[in-house]
Amino acid sequence: MTLPVTIIMIEDDEGHARLIERNIRRSGVNNEILSFTNGTSAMKHLFGPDGTGLAQKGNALLILLDLNLPDMSGIDILKQIKENKYLKASPVVVLTTTDDSQEIKRCYELGCNVYITKPVNYENFANAIRQLGLFFSVIQVPPAAT
Amino acid sequence: MTAEGQRRRAFWQILLFAAGLVVLTAISAGSVYLVNKARGDNKWVVHTLEVENQLNALLLELRRAESGARGYLLTQGENFKADHEKAVAEIVPALDRITRLTGDNPAQRESIEKLSAAIETRLGQFAQEMEFVRQGQLDKAAALVREAAAANTTSTISREANAMIREEERLFRLRSVNADNSQTLAASLTGIGSGLVVVLALVSIWLVRRSARSRDEAEARLRDSNVNLEATVDERTADLREANDEIQRFAYIVSHDLRSPLVNIMGFTSELEELGKDIFRRIGGLTGVPAGGPPLDVAEVPLEDADKQMSADFSEALGFIKSSIARMDRLISAILNLTREGRREFQPERIDTRDFIEAIVSSLAHQAAEAQAEIHIEPLPNIVSDRLALEQIFSNLIDNAIKYLKNGVPGEIRIRGRTKLGYAIFEISDNGRGIDPRDHQRIFDLFRRAGTQDKPGQGIGLAHVRALVRRLGGTMSVSSELNAGSTFTITLPINWNASNRNADR
Repeated sequence: MTLPVTIIMIEDDEGHARLIERNIRRSGVNNEILSFTNGTSAMKHLFGPDGTGLAQKGNALLILLDLNLPDMSGIDILKQIKENKYLKASPVVVLTTTDDSQEIKRCYELGCNVYITKPVNYENFANAIRQLGLFFSVIQVPPAAT
Repeated sequence: MTAEGQRRRAFWQILLFAAGLVVLTAISAGSVYLVNKARGDNKWVVHTLEVENQLNALLLELRRAESGARGYLLTQGENFKADHEKAVAEIVPALDRITRLTGDNPAQRESIEKLSAAIETRLGQFAQEMEFVRQGQLDKAAALVREAAAANTTSTISREANAMIREEERLFRLRSVNADNSQTLAASLTGIGSGLVVVLALVSIWLVRRSARSRDEAEARLRDSNVNLEATVDERTADLREANDEIQRFAYIVSHDLRSPLVNIMGFTSELEELGKDIFRRIGGLTGVPAGGPPLDVAEVPLEDADKQMSADFSEALGFIKSSIARMDRLISAILNLTREGRREFQPERIDTRDFIEAIVSSLAHQAAEAQAEIHIEPLPNIVSDRLALEQIFSNLIDNAIKYLKNGVPGEIRIRGRTKLGYAIFEISDNGRGIDPRDHQRIFDLFRRAGTQDKPGQGIGLAHVRALVRRLGGTMSVSSELNAGSTFTITLPINWNASNRNADR
């Protein structure tokens, strides 16, 4: 792995973002975390100004995605990422409050790699994120260029 | 068309019919009467003619007798004599006939008496005359003839006879007029009556047609309103369905959106807790060492009393916050589950209710044994319904029955079933603590409970059960008294039909 993996976090709730980041750090993951609070800015970053995703070519990305975003649906973002030839290899972790089985099924069908429901119970929450952090530290993330 | 109007029209039709009948009867009776009268009148006309005829015949016979007598006087021919005698023989019976015919008329009777007297006189003269001729006393006979011609007997006869004929002619005219009148009357009565019947018939036909038309119109209106009603019902159903869907979506979204801040509150509360522990450890470390000395290992320094109190207060506050958050989370989850249930599609299947209930009861056997409860299952009707929904309904109710028994009293729970008009009625009754009638509505509300709160629960079960029963197309109710047990009654359609709520989604 020549390039360090960048974690892209798309989460509109800053509190959640902060809690997620803290727990990732606590699990010993020191990768760069880029935080976006709405879908539009995240999409701009991911797909670049031309909307092709060429800007991310060669970058190793791991995407943390919330489904309930103020400006667009997380499902749409997931779909577009998985349809883009530069981004589709990047793992996507959906981390959201929704625990509807239909929704979960749909996300996996669209190509999400992990689906985590945010538990209200903080210990469970912290646990989930830390395990995710462990997961981050062991998985191989391919560079976005194919 | 009002009922009053219809009644009035029916009344008028009956009245018309009755009137037609009365008119017909009257015409018939009148016609019979008038025809009889006309016949009578005609008979009288004929009678008059007969009398006249007889009178003329009488006069003719008199003339024949006279001319026969004269011929005999002149020629003494026997044939004249025979002629005379034949005529005389005719006279008396003719007179008798006339007398009989005119017996009803006093004026004629008077005339006929005079006529009879005159004729008798005349016949006497004839006889005498004939006698004279036979004896050859022709002079005497001729004298007699002259005398008779001069005497007023003949004139009396002709006068009376003419008077009678005139009288009869008068009667003839009178009776003819009468007969004519009768006939005219009969004809006009028949004509007027027939006209009246025709008019009545026309009015009846008009009324019948009008009522038929208004009936047709009413039918058309009824059909229209039926169609409209169906359309309206469909429309309302669609509206309700939409409203229901909206509520479900609303509940779903709200509970999700409520959960997000709750994650933060809980997360940062836990962070605060950790932070608090660190802070108090440090406070202990700072206060537990003499000034200027090296800091001790913070974990091992006991806090001073005041600090200990502060730490306890801090933990208590956080504890309340956390337990409230947990409670709120449970409530939100409950709403979420309810909306999720509301969106689930039912899969109807034939259910052997007894096996089904026995399975539920055996899954609750542990709780039942703990509560010393016996569960009796009586014969139950089989139904076609959604298995999962029924499972939730019955296990909730049986679980409740076990849960809310009276302390220290062995429980007895009965599950009964029967059918009525295409519905299966299930009753789950217990001898438990019962429910105050004031709380009968309340227990079906979400998050509401009743009675002593000594058992864990969220107040969701019955709300959930009732929502399910309704979606299955049934109803449920409770009858209970405090300390006298409860009976929950569920009515469900035996067969799954398209009008069940499954088609809603």
